[in-house]
Amino acid sequence: MNQADVSKLVSRLRVRVAAKPRRLSNPQGPEGRMNKLRATVSGIIKYERVELNSNLADEARGYTERLISEAIRYGDSDPNMMEMADYWLEEKQLVHKLFKVLVPRFENSSLSYTKIYRCPGIIRPDFPSLVIELRGNPFPPLVKDLSTNRNLLHNVLLDAAKKEFRKQQYEIIAKGSAGQARETDRNISEESTKPVGDSSDSTDAESPEKVTPQSEKNT
Amino acid sequence: MKLLSSLRSLKPYRTYSSFASIIEKQNRLFTGELERQRNDIGRIEKIEVSYEGRPENKTIIMNKFLSSPYDATRHIAEWLSQQGALAQVDDTYIWDMHRPLEGSCRLKILTVTDPDPHHVNKAFWKSCSFFLGAVISQSFADNVQVTLHSFPSPQITSGSFLYDARLSLADWQPTPNELRVLSAEMVKLANRALPLERLAVSADFAKIIFENNEFKSQQIPDIAGNSADGKITLYRVGNHIDISKGPLIGDTSFLGRCSITAVHKIESEDGPLFRFQGVALPKGLMMNHFAYRILEERASKPFGFQKLQLMIRNVPGDDSEIVIRKVARSLRKIRS
Repeated sequence: MNQADVSKLVSRLRVRVAAKPRRLSNPQGPEGRMNKLRATVSGIIKYERVELNSNLADEARGYTERLISEAIRYGDSDPNMMEMADYWLEEKQLVHKLFKVLVPRFENSSLSYTKIYRCPGIIRPDFPSLVIELRGNPFPPLVKDLSTNRNLLHNVLLDAAKKEFRKQQYEIIAKGSAGQARETDRNISEESTKPVGDSSDSTDAESPEKVTPQSEKNT
Repeated sequence: MKLLSSLRSLKPYRTYSSFASIIEKQNRLFTGELERQRNDIGRIEKIEVSYEGRPENKTIIMNKFLSSPYDATRHIAEWLSQQGALAQVDDTYIWDMHRPLEGSCRLKILTVTDPDPHHVNKAFWKSCSFFLGAVISQSFADNVQVTLHSFPSPQITSGSFLYDARLSLADWQPTPNELRVLSAEMVKLANRALPLERLAVSADFAKIIFENNEFKSQQIPDIAGNSADGKITLYRVGNHIDISKGPLIGDTSFLGRCSITAVHKIESEDGPLFRFQGVALPKGLMMNHFAYRILEERASKPFGFQKLQLMIRNVPGDDSEIVIRKVARSLRKIRS
């Protein structure tokens, strides 16, 4: 039972990593593979968006994710972390970028740090290449925004449904509070200038948002 | 259940019936007029169309009164001709994809996923009503007589697109299965990817085309009076011909997820009608089934229900029954 819990030794990534590493055949053997991956990881950190062939992009993604998550976990005061950053990033200023730019950017993120898109290859369209980018990069987006654009038809429909639902809810609230208010009005004084029920009704018809504070006051 | 069984034996056309002969006559007239207008062009002049937008700005030489924005997109990119739902000419006029261009112009192509697809949404909603009309007229069995009435201008925020029609049925409450059959017919129409042909004709010609439809022939003088040049704009999808001010989307393949949610019986000035209601999304816009179910439930409520309630609450007095009738009448006037 003295075995360490592996999940606490290695940071959990938010992307799927293949069980076996790709070999990425290289004339210089395994060392050449690592050099290639180092250059790719450095490129991703430096340019924030690169287009690669699919094998290399997917392999380098895991290393990039791991590097950023370790940097967030250990910070720049850890000598081992610094040694690792020094190995993976070929330029000195990229180490600064990793700790001063990327760590604050991704510290509180709940998503993966990189994103991958498939795109038609330039030389052979049937052989897709991948675009890998860091999230939060300054470039214009590659794909259209279909979820947060409120002008698209499905969002127009959903917004209208939401508005109608809210109106119904406010009506129920206003009815309840107006009834109560009328009773108290009758009990306390008959000279009140504004009938509460009417005023709440008219505000309800125009702007449902304003009703809640008033109805709360009434109750 | 009797109706369902009759709906089950759906045929694309009701052959061996008067309906088929009416459709055939309408199409013969439409095609003839289309060809006549093409022949009247005479000597073909060239126009310069400068396209603005992705993938690149381009100037194309095209034929006056013959080439449409759709033809222009085929010179630019395949994806553009598939995604282009509407065109904008000289930044002002909204143009159908299959309507011939009338002079040198600047051209933009609008799609459903533009940053602000307001015009496309409206055209899509209107086209959905149009397709619904096609489905209603062709889905019922021979023993049910269908007379299409009209569809109001699109109101997307109401949550449903509509079509009013008279059926020779006294009290018909569609079962969920019958509604599903109608939705399936809409999807089948979308799968056929039929282009929408546009044709502007004189009121007299339109009257000949719709001589078997009493409602349409009544509406034609009104529509012709309201239009700028006294012409009636007809659209044809497959073999279904109907009047619409347009613009409508390029072809039926833009219709993605679609359901016909309810059929309500309504009273109108032209007697009792059945109001078909549905909701649809353009192809390419995804939505999970839970959210779509909310839209479906909303679309099954009677159209104008919310508006009625709102107006009733602002009217003093307790005679809500009378008020409902009054408001309903005024609403009908607004719509017609």
